[in-house]
Amino acid sequence: MSDIIFYVIAGCVCLFGLLSVTARSIFHCAMFLAMGLLSIAGLYFYLDAQFLGIIQTLVYVGGIVTLFVYAIKLTTHIDDTTIKQVNAQLLPAAVIVIFLFMIILRLFAGADLMKLVPSTASTSIAQVGEAFMTTYALPFEFMSVILLAALVGAIVIGKVK
Amino acid sequence: MIPLGFYVAISAFLFCLGIFGAMTRRNVIGVLISIELILNAANINLVAFNKYLGDKTGLGEIFSLFVIAIAAAASVVGLVLIIAIYRNSKSLFTEDFHLMKE
Repeated sequence: MSDIIFYVIAGCVCLFGLLSVTARSIFHCAMFLAMGLLSIAGLYFYLDAQFLGIIQTLVYVGGIVTLFVYAIKLTTHIDDTTIKQVNAQLLPAAVIVIFLFMIILRLFAGADLMKLVPSTASTSIAQVGEAFMTTYALPFEFMSVILLAALVGAIVIGKVK
Repeated sequence: MIPLGFYVAISAFLFCLGIFGAMTRRNVIGVLISIELILNAANINLVAFNKYLGDKTGLGEIFSLFVIAIAAAASVVGLVLIIAIYRNSKSLFTEDFHLMKE
């Protein structure tokens, strides 16, 4: 039963990932991206990383995809379905990417990953929060500075002169 | 039980899709969407290896939280740049962006 849930989630991740890259209308791409990110959040829940799943849903689906939709709607008349959406590199890119996929799988086939079983040890939300406030306090503060810089930079760049 | 290799395969598939989209999309917003897919592929690997190697401190989970924060900052700046360029050139297609080549 548990395995079936994994296969359903994995199928959703692959399907929506594929659709978000190949769909014609850019607005549909953003919607498929939202679905794909939600499926990845499901994968995190399946891997016992509840906090990460919640943050993925909040930040990605609630924040970034909303921003994408805003950007698409502010830059209008581009999701016309008659406009060509891919450039001339379609075939070479497909060949390179399939080759790359094969190389990655080949590399990991040598590492014998099929025998590992998931450990029962899981990290609770309290442990993650504690680690942020103690062990990783410095990177955490740096992260807030980066976010503030991105916020100020976005306002400066986006301001109408 | 699901072997770890399956997570690696999903992550590799998403990564390759992202690369493919970033190379072939004409629309800049489509390129940004593909980059988000690449970052998520990396996160899946981090979380899966964290679970299967049994790290009690949750290092992989915490690292992917940092990756999510960086990705949010990056996509905000990227989208604002796109809107600023659109205001000037009234286009969103990658072949029209050649300000630095003139």
